[in-house]
Amino acid sequence: MTFSLLHATDFADRLLYKIIPPLKAGMIVLADRYAYTAFARDATRGVDRQWVRELYSFAVKPDMALYFRVPIDVSLDRLMARRVKLKFYEAGMDLGWSTNPVESFRLFQGKVLDEYDRIVDEYGLSVVDAVGSITEQQRVVRNLVAHHIETVDAAREIPSEQSA
Amino acid sequence: MSNLPELSPDAETPAGKYYGRSIPYLPLESYPGKLIAVEGTDGVGRSTQIQLLREWLEVKGYGVIETGWTRSPLMQPTIELAKSSNTLNKLTFVLLYATDFADRLEKEIIPALKAGFVVLTDRYIFTALARAGVRGVDRAWLRTLYGFAIAPHLVFYLKIDVDTLIGRVLESRGMDFWESGMDLKTGDDIYDSFRAYQNKLLREYGSMGEEFHFRVVDARRSVVQIQDELRRQVAAFLEPTGT
Repeated sequence: MTFSLLHATDFADRLLYKIIPPLKAGMIVLADRYAYTAFARDATRGVDRQWVRELYSFAVKPDMALYFRVPIDVSLDRLMARRVKLKFYEAGMDLGWSTNPVESFRLFQGKVLDEYDRIVDEYGLSVVDAVGSITEQQRVVRNLVAHHIETVDAAREIPSEQSA
Repeated sequence: MSNLPELSPDAETPAGKYYGRSIPYLPLESYPGKLIAVEGTDGVGRSTQIQLLREWLEVKGYGVIETGWTRSPLMQPTIELAKSSNTLNKLTFVLLYATDFADRLEKEIIPALKAGFVVLTDRYIFTALARAGVRGVDRAWLRTLYGFAIAPHLVFYLKIDVDTLIGRVLESRGMDFWESGMDLKTGDDIYDSFRAYQNKLLREYGSMGEEFHFRVVDARRSVVQIQDELRRQVAAFLEPTGT
C-alpha cells in the first residue's frame, strides 16, 4: 500500500511538471511506463485493483498506449545477459515467494504479465510483439504512431465543417 | 478513468473496519485493540490532551501507542524537504500525506490493534480531507483514496472558533507558513491569510462531523475541563459496565 502510494506521489509530481506542460505546448510526450505499470505491479503485490485505478484517476489518459509483450523466459534471458544480479523489487523479493532471485522473478513477473493482459483489454492498449528484433519492433511502432498522428492531423484539417 | 460509485463511508460503516476498499493482504477480523482519533485544527491543543490521556490510560493498565500525522520514519524527511521548497503541488501534497499514513497504518496502527493496544492518533485522515478539500481537491476522489483507512472507534473533534485559536497560536509559537495557508496565495499578510484559511478549515471539519461520527468537544475550555470530558467518554467506551 505504502509502496503503491509512494509511486503515485512520484507520478503526480512528474505529471504536473514534466507531462502536462509539454502537452499544453503541443508537444509529443513519450512516457517510458505509465499508470498501467502501477496497475499491474500493485495488484500483483496484493493491493485492491479498483482502488489503484481510482487512485490514478488524476492521470491524463494517453492518446496512445503501447504494450511490449514478451514471455518471461525471454525477458529473463535479456536481463541476465546484461546484468549480474536481478533487482530486489523487480524480482518481487519483498513478497518472500522465493529466496532464489530468478525463481522469485519468474513467479512475480508471471503474475505481473497476467495483470497486464487484463489491462490490455480494459484500456485498449496496442500490443507490440517484443520477441522480435529491435528493428522489427521499431517498424511496427513507427507504423502505429504514424497512423495515429495522421488520423489526428486529418481530423484537424477539417475544422470548418463542424463550426456551429 | 473509470466511473465507480462514490466510496464515501456510509453511516453504517462499523467502527474498527475499513471505510472503503480494504487492504486485501491485511484482512481485519476481530482484534482486541481500539483506535481513538483526536482531531482538530492547528494549535487547538491536541497533543496536550493526548499526552494526558495516555498517562491516564497507562495508569489504568492499558497498553498505549501514539501515532501522529507525518510521523512515519519513511516519509517524514521527504515531507519536510518538500514543504521547504516551492515545488509542492497540492496533488503531490495529498499523496505524500497518504503515503505517510499508509506506512503508519501498515507498520504501526494495525499491528498495535492486533496486539491489543489502545492507539491514540494525533490527527487522522480528516486532517488530510480538510486540508485538501480547502485546496480544491476532489472530495469524492479523496474519500476513495482513503478508503483503506480504518474507521476509528472514537473520533474526538476539538472544536474551536477562529478568534480563540488566533489568541492561542500567537501566545505560543506564532503563525507558521503552512498553517496560515500561505501556499494558497490569498495575500501577503500572514494574519489575514491565517484567519481566512483556518476559517475555511474549520468549516470543512464541521461539514465532516456527521459523515464520520465526530464527538465534538468544546476546545475553548481549560485543558483540565477538556481532559475530564475526554476521559469520561473514553471510560464509558472502554469499560461500559462502569467501574
